Amino acid sequence: MKLSPISVPYRAVQKSGSLLFILVFVGSTGSSGFGGPLLALAAFAVLAVSIGYELLYYRRFSYELTADTLDLSSGVFNRREREIPYGRIQNVDVSQNIIQRALGIAAVNVETAGGGSTEAVIRYVSAETAETLQTDVRDRKRGRDRREGASADEPAAEPEALFSIEPSELALVGVLSFDPRVPGAILALLTGSVPFVSPILPGDVSGIGLTVLIIVVGVAVIGLSWIVGAISAVVNYWGFRLTQTEDELQYERGLVQRYSGTIPFDKVQTVTIEDNPLKRRFGYATLGVETAGYAPGQANGKGSEAAVPLASVDRVHRLAHELEAFGEPEFTRPPKRIRRRYAVRYLLAIGALTAIAFAITRFYSIPFPWYVPIGAAVLTPIAAHYKWLHRGYWLGEDHFVARSGFWNREAKVVPYYRIQTVIDTRTIFQRRWNVGTVVADTAGSLSVLGSDAAALDIDRADVERIREELTDRLQASLEERRRDRKPASGFAWIDTVEDPALPNPVDFDSLTPAITAAGSEDADRSPDSTKTDRSPDSPKADRSSDSPKADRSSDSTDSDQPDRAEE
Amino acid sequence: MNALQPRIRILWVGRAIISAGIVGGVGYAAAMYADVPVEWPIAIAGLLLVVGVLHALLRYRNWRYEIREDSLYLERGVLTEVRTAVPLVRIQHVDSRRSALERLVGLASTVVYTAGSRGADVRIPGLTPDDASALRERLKRLAIEADGEDAV
Repeated sequence: MKLSPISVPYRAVQKSGSLLFILVFVGSTGSSGFGGPLLALAAFAVLAVSIGYELLYYRRFSYELTADTLDLSSGVFNRREREIPYGRIQNVDVSQNIIQRALGIAAVNVETAGGGSTEAVIRYVSAETAETLQTDVRDRKRGRDRREGASADEPAAEPEALFSIEPSELALVGVLSFDPRVPGAILALLTGSVPFVSPILPGDVSGIGLTVLIIVVGVAVIGLSWIVGAISAVVNYWGFRLTQTEDELQYERGLVQRYSGTIPFDKVQTVTIEDNPLKRRFGYATLGVETAGYAPGQANGKGSEAAVPLASVDRVHRLAHELEAFGEPEFTRPPKRIRRRYAVRYLLAIGALTAIAFAITRFYSIPFPWYVPIGAAVLTPIAAHYKWLHRGYWLGEDHFVARSGFWNREAKVVPYYRIQTVIDTRTIFQRRWNVGTVVADTAGSLSVLGSDAAALDIDRADVERIREELTDRLQASLEERRRDRKPASGFAWIDTVEDPALPNPVDFDSLTPAITAAGSEDADRSPDSTKTDRSPDSPKADRSSDSPKADRSSDSTDSDQPDRAEE
Repeated sequence: MNALQPRIRILWVGRAIISAGIVGGVGYAAAMYADVPVEWPIAIAGLLLVVGVLHALLRYRNWRYEIREDSLYLERGVLTEVRTAVPLVRIQHVDSRRSALERLVGLASTVVYTAGSRGADVRIPGLTPDDASALRERLKRLAIEADGEDAV
């Protein structure tokens, strides 16, 4: 299938737009030696070249939905052929900005796990094609999953509305949004302009006058970032809607740029519930859903595209349980003594701030009351207490839940079977307090920003226990899932063992020494013995030899397997 | 628990010496240029050297790894102690590699990749080349056995 023909002029103008703009700008100043006709010619040439390129691009680009894969071939100079198995697709996103909406075209991004970028970009197809592509991929995925059951031909279930944002909620989202980038930008601007501004200021600024000025500027900056944050939040979440089909979550949002996408339930990695004292006061919370795919067009730079920006606590909890039935968490908090550490930490930060203020006032000899930040020290015990109060972890039936944050409280729900690695760390300071941190790493994209599900500052004795517990529960839940899946999938290697007629094709015992030898330190081993290629058969053979394990209860993962265990 | 090859200390201590040397050299030149007593950069470089060498030696002493029943387990870190458990099911692929410096002292390392975000690649340095490829083969086999049908 082809792209939409409109994509040719659109892409051409889009790509050469900035160059054309510069040319027009140079032409309009008119001061240079270039004549108008020459500029027009250059502009025409640029446009012609890019249209030519885009035509070729259009001719080369094709995509096709085969039985098992989404095939793409593209490239003008470098050709590229790609086949993406449906089972590996994390989500299919469609986005349209205001111009694209007027032209009736849309961009389709296909996300897979791994890598920091979108796997396949289809720019642009008509809006209807984008939608059919989205549903087709979904249907084929489902068809692939249930090829044995004849349900593949069934029409897709009618999507069930899960959530749609109320005007009052949207307004609240705006009110509670604050764009932290604005103060940064203003600060950068201000520091750059100080040398120009300072001579303008009245020479006899008294200490009080300066303080007032700083307060006024501060309030203005906060106000401005608040307004910017509010506008961008409202624009982003305009008409936010979540719908649910049998195995997928679909979202839609945006006023100027329209986003829509799907998230298969079985690709959801973590669910996050977030609130802050303001939201708690009014009974609202935020919900984030994280998949392993790279998320495009994220609001506020976070990777969770299906985040419910704000909804009443009830709705958020209902929705969260719809996604992951994790029950009612009872958090275990860090030991109480750790509050002293937090208080000390806050005091140190205040001390540093005061020192900086002191240094600045001395250096520039400004009569500014540098001791003002010390006043915040009164608040440290409260902050330390809340930091401690909000931190905690819970090991549920199927989920690990970790909560933290002094102002923005965030609870992360990780199903055990989504855990990738378990890391425990103890910094030099944590060792002093005899505590440590256990991190359950997942394949989510949010955690790149450093907000993994982590049980922070828990007692040293618990660190070890929880790390072991998490890995054990991961194994147990994998075992369970495998058992559940067994009847559905036609996968053979567990069942074949039950068949007594089947001879064991490989002598398992003869493999065992080779395996243990390969990793041990001092075993004599020729390079050949480790390089022997037995991959085609032996994994299967090994699997069948210890596969009765799979039929035992899930705690069998604790049992010793001499061929693997190594001291 | 397996320790690393003692030779890795040559590499790490050497690295500490070189970086201290660079800091010292640059500091010395700057001090000459700015007419500051040259004792300062030399003292700083000396301190860096001592700290760096100590860190390298402790790093070697604290590095441990082992392959457990269903995970690869690592212990390391001087200031921050880190312990990582990589379930074998989660292994995406395994590399063994030798950088130019590693080849100089006849060492290699094995790198284990998962789909995770933080512990996405776990590197075991300081192995003999044979050990590194043997470990790679073994982890590969164990990962296949562990049958990570959906590694994400």
